[in-house]
Amino acid sequence: MKSASSRRRFLQSSKALVALPFLESLGFRRFASAATPSPPQRLVFLAMGYGVTEDAWFPDVKQTGADYELPPGLMPLARHKADFTVVQGARHHFTSEGHWGSTYWLTGASRYGDGGSSFHNSISADQVAAAHVGQQTRFASLQLNGSEKTIAEAGHGPGLSLAWDVRGKPMGGLDSPLATYHRLFSRENVSLDERQAMLTQKRSVMDAVLEDARDLKRGLGRTDKNKLEEYFQGIRDIETRLSKDELWQDKPKPEAPLLQPPEAGLKGLEEIKLMYDLMLAALKTDSTRVITYRQPIADLLTSLGIKVAAHDMSHYTPGIRREASLRRDEANSDLLAGLIDRLKTTREADGSRLFDHTAVVFGSNLRTVHNVDDCPTILTGGGAGMQLGKNLVLRQGTPLCNIWLTLLRGIGAPVKRHGDSTGVISELLG
Amino acid sequence: MRWQRGKNEICLYRSIMACLLCYAMSVAFARAAPSAVVAERYRTLLDTHCKKCHGAESQEGKFRLDTLAFNILDNQTAAGWQKVLNVLNSGDMPPADEMPLEKNAKADLLENLSQVMVTARRLLSDQHGRITMRRLSRREYKNTIRHLLGVELDVSELPSDTGTGKFDTVGANLFMSGDQFEQYQALGRHAVEQAFDRYRDRSRIWKKRIEAEAGMLERIRNSLAIRMEDHRRYKTWTHAIDQAATRSENREVVAQIWQEVEGKQPRERFYHAWRRIQGAPDPREYDFVDADHATHVGVGTYRAVAYQTWYMVQPENTNGALLSIGDNGVNPWFTFDAGNHFPAGEYTMRIRVAATEKASPERKFLEFGLRTGGPFTHLSTHEVTGTMASPEVVEVPFTLRRNGDRTFFVREKGTFDTGQQSARRHNAGRKINGLGPEFALWVDWAEIERKPAAEQRKAPAIDLLGTALMGETSDSVDLLREGLERFANASFRGATAPPSYLEKLITIYDLRQEAGDSHPEALKETLSVILASPRFLYLTEPTANESQRRPLSARELAIRLAYFLWGTPPDEELLQLAVTDQLMQPGVLPKQINRLLDDPRAMDFVTPFVHQWLDVDRLDFFRFNGERYPRFDESTKRAARQEVYETMAHLVRSHGSLGNLLKADYVVVNSLLANYYGIDAVTGDEFRRVSVPADSPRGGLLGMAAILAMGSNGEQTSPVERGAWVLRKLLNDPPPPAPANVPQLTRFEDQLITTRVRLLVHQEEPQCASCHRKIDPIGIGLENFDAVGQWRSEEHYEKPGLGRKTWTIDVASKLHTGLAFANYFELREIVASQTDAFARGFSAALIEYALGRPCGFSDEPLIDTMLQQARERDLAVREFIHALVQSPTFQSK
Repeated sequence: MKSASSRRRFLQSSKALVALPFLESLGFRRFASAATPSPPQRLVFLAMGYGVTEDAWFPDVKQTGADYELPPGLMPLARHKADFTVVQGARHHFTSEGHWGSTYWLTGASRYGDGGSSFHNSISADQVAAAHVGQQTRFASLQLNGSEKTIAEAGHGPGLSLAWDVRGKPMGGLDSPLATYHRLFSRENVSLDERQAMLTQKRSVMDAVLEDARDLKRGLGRTDKNKLEEYFQGIRDIETRLSKDELWQDKPKPEAPLLQPPEAGLKGLEEIKLMYDLMLAALKTDSTRVITYRQPIADLLTSLGIKVAAHDMSHYTPGIRREASLRRDEANSDLLAGLIDRLKTTREADGSRLFDHTAVVFGSNLRTVHNVDDCPTILTGGGAGMQLGKNLVLRQGTPLCNIWLTLLRGIGAPVKRHGDSTGVISELLG
Repeated sequence: MRWQRGKNEICLYRSIMACLLCYAMSVAFARAAPSAVVAERYRTLLDTHCKKCHGAESQEGKFRLDTLAFNILDNQTAAGWQKVLNVLNSGDMPPADEMPLEKNAKADLLENLSQVMVTARRLLSDQHGRITMRRLSRREYKNTIRHLLGVELDVSELPSDTGTGKFDTVGANLFMSGDQFEQYQALGRHAVEQAFDRYRDRSRIWKKRIEAEAGMLERIRNSLAIRMEDHRRYKTWTHAIDQAATRSENREVVAQIWQEVEGKQPRERFYHAWRRIQGAPDPREYDFVDADHATHVGVGTYRAVAYQTWYMVQPENTNGALLSIGDNGVNPWFTFDAGNHFPAGEYTMRIRVAATEKASPERKFLEFGLRTGGPFTHLSTHEVTGTMASPEVVEVPFTLRRNGDRTFFVREKGTFDTGQQSARRHNAGRKINGLGPEFALWVDWAEIERKPAAEQRKAPAIDLLGTALMGETSDSVDLLREGLERFANASFRGATAPPSYLEKLITIYDLRQEAGDSHPEALKETLSVILASPRFLYLTEPTANESQRRPLSARELAIRLAYFLWGTPPDEELLQLAVTDQLMQPGVLPKQINRLLDDPRAMDFVTPFVHQWLDVDRLDFFRFNGERYPRFDESTKRAARQEVYETMAHLVRSHGSLGNLLKADYVVVNSLLANYYGIDAVTGDEFRRVSVPADSPRGGLLGMAAILAMGSNGEQTSPVERGAWVLRKLLNDPPPPAPANVPQLTRFEDQLITTRVRLLVHQEEPQCASCHRKIDPIGIGLENFDAVGQWRSEEHYEKPGLGRKTWTIDVASKLHTGLAFANYFELREIVASQTDAFARGFSAALIEYALGRPCGFSDEPLIDTMLQQARERDLAVREFIHALVQSPTFQSK
């Protein structure tokens, strides 16, 4: 078919990170015999937008190492104390946006990094990981979000998820447990032939819009071409996904670990719990190895029966705002403790714990109020070989990207540097 | 010179344009090129304090200050100075064991450095007139779909395109992704489906009326009977317990229980201990689940009985319904279920309603909206002028969507935003009648009616498909191709869809039909692809050589103009003028600008522009304390926000002067807001100009409730936010962005002091003083307005454990420029005298919004031109727009 060949040419001519020949060289056979001898390593980033209540969340900087007292905000994590590390003192040097808890969290970019614009970003750590470990799974990476959209609500800042692609463009995410469930597990109740027909139809759509795009591109100058390139890249991403769908089409999606699709419209506490369940399921079934989750905050407060708006809470003046802030910390820690429980009890195919092969980061670019230094960071899980069970106090101002670099290397990604990193953090290595 | 029609004239125009462009550019270069240079006088200071560790010998932190250029010419140098600024602000440098900087010197350095950084950012981001092709913003996308298909789409799932601190038109920040492409396709499909439905139902009549009293009395009567019966059983049960308690063997335990239950609700808690009293019966014998349940229905819900009984005897309840408030067993709102069979389209709801004699002026408003699964969606607020003797019919236009909620509510204003509001009305009512809220509003009936076909929104793109294609079947490929071509060309705003593209569209149609789709289904899918194609999603002005500006074609100009002033594609008239080469004829363009600005659609320019220019989204950053500020309910907040937009709209419509935003002898309000401001004799929901006396604090932005409320945190005023906003927006002297990581000042936290004294702490730390000496005096000058913009002369501060302090507000202060003011009115005069600065800031914002790129130093000549032209007409807002649109900058790519 003519359209298929032109599509292939389009993919090959592109500088896409994942080009078709590469996929082919990995080969369909490898996908089919997916039983890997030892469990793969995974990376999970959980972002909480507005940071924490400073005096109730950070352990005493004088009590370093394993022997430290848990502050009230971390109390719910007590049962896992030997299995997570609190890292203090790290920050991004270029960030100074007091409402943007997630925009630069995984990138470390400078807003002014590109002279010609007022907004700039670069690739996020999860996407660096996905480029290295994402080829062998149905989804190279999974981006999850709360359903809050505005800065006032969530404190996450601009972006469509935590993930930014290789060009520093925002990547979209799934905004609800229901959408996540469908992406991961819903099986189209159609025959192989019908599925093939659907793929063909989808490709015909791509062909049409690309025809218009190519025709348009002819008359454009350099900057405009660059802008239109985002459109091409978007279509290319869909193409890549369709190609993967094609490779996977006679391999059914994994059995859903939940009995039925989650209820629509679930918000806050229950929503986060469900997202965590779905994350576990995605990891266990090896549907993906890289997950980011931009967690809801306003909805969390509402679900806890707290009638304080999220941004108000972040300015935790004494009274109901401070109470809300403290309860937010507790709820976040409690949720994380629950996730660690489940990571420990979930077994891999070889009988080992999922916990041992998954690195989880929990944190935010915002420490507290509008401060962006000393970013709150918790590391847990054995996936990247980090030393756990410590209160690790780094030299103030250590690049947060050094932690990301350490993690990326820890899961086997041969990365030289990330963002403004200056090196790995040796104290984290065993 | 005589103008001739036709091609020659365009050539002539182009050559003039080219000259103008050259001229504009030469002016730009002739001016002293702005530069971002750190003042030389700080070199010694920096050398003394920093060089030892950050010089040639010791390069601590791999950072050298001695090689950092004072003239900031590139991003790298800017990043270096940003680092210096950050560590000075956070107090990290110099380190604690080194000699600190002298306070005043540090404050001066910080002030200079942060200003230089602002200049540097602007310099480095200057686009020199280049406008990048851009995607439609979410707002423009929604408008464009409405324009083409007559459909009101819910686009909330698309990214909002705001939040980077720039206008949502700035193309460099408008991204695209694969997921988003799929969203566009799905939304486009949804829009097309809805447009087809509307086409099918275009001439049907739909109407439904509901009498408010229908079923209402019966419902309350039933509820009343159940409550009375519950209470009767409760009485019987507790009477039996009382009987048992008198028995001698129970004497001791009864005395003990009474002792234990001392405090709140002793009787109820006494009965809860029935098990310990010998012979006391089990509540289950009286049909209660347990003692808790018995108390709940026997005492708790019984409380509403008196109020319900009172409602039953109101004479007005037989032919209508009185509205109550909160959960008291009487209708807290009136609901109207439109039903699923009503087709999407434009409707009118009519509500026959009256205010009772109990309604105070503040309570004569109703709220209309949608009942949803979650919180209700408030759509609009309306004044009720009808009386019981002569009720009125309030008309509310609304749009019914294809999917989504279809039950509407009518309730009293400001009664359901928070629980505090209904509690407040309950208490007020109880003081008067001992029972509950007084009834303020009475509803007779409500009805909805679909507007007649002529008043429904037009769907030009559907009309272009032609009736043949809109049928159930079609078998002519030619007809299909022609229809698709017309639809695509309209969607592409007059650009021609390439034939190869049309062929691909036909392939999609064929594939869908092969897969079993009917003709309409296959057609809808194909059309939705057009609405996700680049020529629809992007505003394109092709040019091969970017280093040279070229004049826009007439069609491109029409598009740019329409998106600027309407947020939509050009309408038929404008587009026709463009494609027939008439738009460039003398006098035509100004006429069109005026026509667009006189049209109601100009609100789609005024609202988003003003909202973003003045940072009105800050109004939603905090929730307002309902207990402290009961009058600033959601309806009032909404009206206050609208005042800002409506005032600008009034200036645009009436050729009013921009200076009126700084000070005016009038306000633009509706009855709700007039009531809030204490202005009498304003009736009706529409905003209109109302004169205020000379001694009124209102008139101009500084006296607007929304602007003042933005400068608060919902609890207290924030003089810093207010001061910074005035510098940024009114005086065009923006303070540098608030530095992150500045240590919180807590020294005064445990003291009862006035706001004024509290702010003095900013003068103690140099990194604060550098900006706050400019910001704080202005904020203090506005302290006579409380957190929700009401005038006050006293303020208090309360802190548990410390007590309460009340003081008379004294705003007398001195600006950093040296000008002193004794009160708010004098401050307003000072600000109002700065029209030039204000107009420059306004012009820059207008340029950025209209052109979709940052306004750089190279735009200064354009700003000069705009100002000059506007000055000739007393700074009329409309003149700025004319000057901008007629400039070579606006008219070239």
